[in-house]
Amino acid sequence: MVVRASGLSKTFRGPDGGPVPVLEGVDVDVKTGEFVAVAGPSGSGKSTLLNLLGLLEPLDAGEIWFDQVRVSGLSRRAQCPVRGRSIGYVFQTFLLISGLTALENVLLAARYVGRSRREALPDARALMERLGVAHRSDHYPAQLSGGEQQRVAYCRAVLNAPPLVLADEPTGNLDEGHAAVILAALRSLCQERGASVILVTHRADAAALADRTLRLRAGRLETDRAG
Amino acid sequence: MRWLLPRNYLFTILGIAVGVGGLVALGAMAERITRFIDGGDRFVLGQISVAGEGMGMGTGFTAGGLLRAAKIAEIARVPGVAAVQPQVMLPLNPTTSQFLTLTQELILGMDPGVRMPNREFRDLPVRDGRPLRAGDRGVAVVGADFAAARSLRAGSRLDLGARAFEIVGVLDKTLTAPDRFAIVPLEDARDLWLRRDPLLVQVFAGGGMTRADLNTGAAVAWADGVDPDVLARRIQADVPGLNVTIPGELSRLLRQSTAFFSALLFGIGVLGLVIGGLSLANTVTAAVFERIRDFGIKRALGATDGQLLREILGEALAVSVSGGAIGIGLALAVGALVDARVLRQGQQLFLFSPRLLGFALVFSVILGALAASYATVRIVRLSPAEAIRRGA
Repeated sequence: MVVRASGLSKTFRGPDGGPVPVLEGVDVDVKTGEFVAVAGPSGSGKSTLLNLLGLLEPLDAGEIWFDQVRVSGLSRRAQCPVRGRSIGYVFQTFLLISGLTALENVLLAARYVGRSRREALPDARALMERLGVAHRSDHYPAQLSGGEQQRVAYCRAVLNAPPLVLADEPTGNLDEGHAAVILAALRSLCQERGASVILVTHRADAAALADRTLRLRAGRLETDRAG
Repeated sequence: MRWLLPRNYLFTILGIAVGVGGLVALGAMAERITRFIDGGDRFVLGQISVAGEGMGMGTGFTAGGLLRAAKIAEIARVPGVAAVQPQVMLPLNPTTSQFLTLTQELILGMDPGVRMPNREFRDLPVRDGRPLRAGDRGVAVVGADFAAARSLRAGSRLDLGARAFEIVGVLDKTLTAPDRFAIVPLEDARDLWLRRDPLLVQVFAGGGMTRADLNTGAAVAWADGVDPDVLARRIQADVPGLNVTIPGELSRLLRQSTAFFSALLFGIGVLGLVIGGLSLANTVTAAVFERIRDFGIKRALGATDGQLLREILGEALAVSVSGGAIGIGLALAVGALVDARVLRQGQQLFLFSPRLLGFALVFSVILGALAASYATVRIVRLSPAEAIRRGA
């Protein structure tokens, strides 16, 4: 999927009620099957950029296009199926639901796009097998290590085979070994399935895996260079 | 079981249980008092009570003087009267204030050969043993609370005024005055009265009186189609020297005298609803807001507002029903414990009627759903990222 964003701006309200601009006029283009890293210091707007591209946050200004569809102009209701079918999210803090088992967390992605449990179950089990967490299917998140939780979160993100995967510092809480597993899995998404991946990271080795790195500073795009 | 008690909802369910338990317990106390007042009202509306003129024993429902047999015969001849049952009603404990006639224990002497004239209490339901029969002597049928306070059952012995009576029956609970009655044959009651009242003995010994004259009052039944208030006034006009209670007026008086209790009941009911309702609504709302991050994640996965609302309502229903059921169980348990204790004094504090329990369950479900809907509407206004941030 081709992702095009232009003039993305976002301002939050500060503790004193005053405006705090986080992103100002950022343009992004991601080709089908491209692996793009987003780097920059803390507070530069990396996560906000990912949230805007993932339709998790409303824009103050700008446009986002997925292929030929201006998704930023869709209604709240119409954005829901786009999130469910076209975008997969991997977050730094995993964001698994504590009351559900690992398998139920993975299958949750199918529930909101109209896929039946029966239809999604083989895919979920195959993904968990591939990521080495199938034996943890019936465990709750609190019973899993950080690496296992992130692998479960990854399975959930890609269960519906979304053409766009957004990963916000997915290795931030992982050791080297687990980080390598997740990064390799993201890389393979682009190569094997032609998915577009946008990865926010602080890690130089992770950025080095990307086709291209976008550098943000103070809410503005500083550089856009090949990885 | 998983559906009934969703994971991580234990404290929510317990919170709801406490609220609903309080509501049910307060409601059960209100139900108990309401049933008592209603029972008294039904009783006075079911018969015309007549006593002789004057103060007399001034007990029970027939506060007045001696009602002699001749007067009873005159009453029976008044057009519209279907039956007259002579009665002797005495306080079990003569030292008890006579103003407490609605709650004190009474000895009721009645002729079992005459059908109960009270239209609302044609037959007093007997739980254990049998009712009084014509020709019985030295036996008694006692009310449920009277029996419970003394551990009496059919076959037990009861001493009334230094006379021994055999209990032949225990009444089922009526939740009103008969629960505290000891019902004995009329002739036995007359004996008890004579033993207790030296003045009466002197009058009786003076001649001019027979045992049939020894009545504290009479219950009068009216023929079908007769207006009891009109008949009561007719008796008063046609038979001089009587205290006649007008059923409608007595009912109004009873309602007026219990107006304080009615207001108290209303207050208890409102208090129960407010405390139980606030507790339940607060618990459910807090439980939904606690999971704001989960809802943010679900919205990131594509959940629509409608899907989230249905999910949350489903969970709210499950926890409300579970909490409501546990709360009802708690209230029943506490009520049983307290009632077991106060029953020794012949009292019952709680009445867990089916309508109360049904109301509590429906109330918890509806309020739980409303609280969950409110919380959901607040949550779905947030963007998924904002919901995740707030829940972090």
